[in-house]
Amino acid sequence: MTIEDEPTTATTGAGGIGYDDHVEESRLAQRAADKWMIPGTVLMGTAILGVFGLPLFLRGLFLQRRAQLGGLSVRPTIVTLIGYMVMLDGALNTFGWAIDLFASHTYMSRIFLPTWGNMFDAGYFWHYNELAVGGAGAPGEKAWEVLGIFVVFPMRIAACIGFLQMKRWGHQWMIVTCWTGMLMWMGYVANMTMYADIRFTGVVFPVLGWWIYDIFYITPFVAIPYLHTVNREIFTD
Amino acid sequence: MSETSTDDLPLGTPKEFRRLHTIIRRVCYVLLFGLVVEGALTFPLLAIWYGVPELTPAEVCDELQKVMYSDDTRECETHDLDSPPFGGTAEAQNQTTAEDIWKVQPTPLYPRVGFRELVENKREREAEEGG
Repeated sequence: MTIEDEPTTATTGAGGIGYDDHVEESRLAQRAADKWMIPGTVLMGTAILGVFGLPLFLRGLFLQRRAQLGGLSVRPTIVTLIGYMVMLDGALNTFGWAIDLFASHTYMSRIFLPTWGNMFDAGYFWHYNELAVGGAGAPGEKAWEVLGIFVVFPMRIAACIGFLQMKRWGHQWMIVTCWTGMLMWMGYVANMTMYADIRFTGVVFPVLGWWIYDIFYITPFVAIPYLHTVNREIFTD
Repeated sequence: MSETSTDDLPLGTPKEFRRLHTIIRRVCYVLLFGLVVEGALTFPLLAIWYGVPELTPAEVCDELQKVMYSDDTRECETHDLDSPPFGGTAEAQNQTTAEDIWKVQPTPLYPRVGFRELVENKREREAEEGG
């Protein structure tokens, strides 16, 4: 029996024998988990099909955790959660804002966005489609959409891909995009509050409803303490 | 012995931040479930509140336009590509029925739409037209 024929289950304490097998086995385990989590995230990113995506994603997480407990060198669970969650946050925001910015005269936009606006935020209901670009009529809203769609969210999704691959640049850009998320929230909420009469008068679930609806998008802030305290050496060039 | 004490730590988690990282991981789980459940339930909630299936989605849009502009003749329409900013008449350019108080902050005067109120609005309007 040669070294190449060693069983691949011996992952530790073999004095270096089987290391390549361990690396390969870890890579395959990570790939198997990602095969479930990527379609799960794509489905969750569509919002309406999210309930179908969640089980796929959780199945991937389960596979990953099992590989981790089995001693394989897969991504830590928290890196997976943060990476996919922040990507999901970027994808969901991009979807809604892109149709408001570019497709505001379509039937789908006209049905969904002002209806959602009437329930949570009349920035998407009050004099909807009356500005030059169309879509949300709330003062300042279009500027946030442009910033989000062209700068913050593409950067965020790219950062997530690098972060999930455990790259050094992914970790660095994740820090940048999470802090940018903080800036966007502070600016957005301040702008929204300045025009609160427009945005929350006559709304079904005003202010508190908006906060309950939008609080789930705070993942980028929650990730900041982790990104600054994790051992950066686990992210490689 | 330091090796054995860090064996059960997740990769990249220093011992002193173990608790912080555990809390963040749990919060992430909550946010994930929240986001997914919310994403899945938003459309059904909107549909039920605004009157589907008695009203089609297009009729909901019609009814909301009537609320938006306080105008019972207003309907939900799409516009061609030559609409602003590429030219043509701006949407609602000649619409003068929208009710707002134009002070430092404009304040709309349209009423809050109650649970399935749009169905009732449509029924009443059709009854008036019919009678």
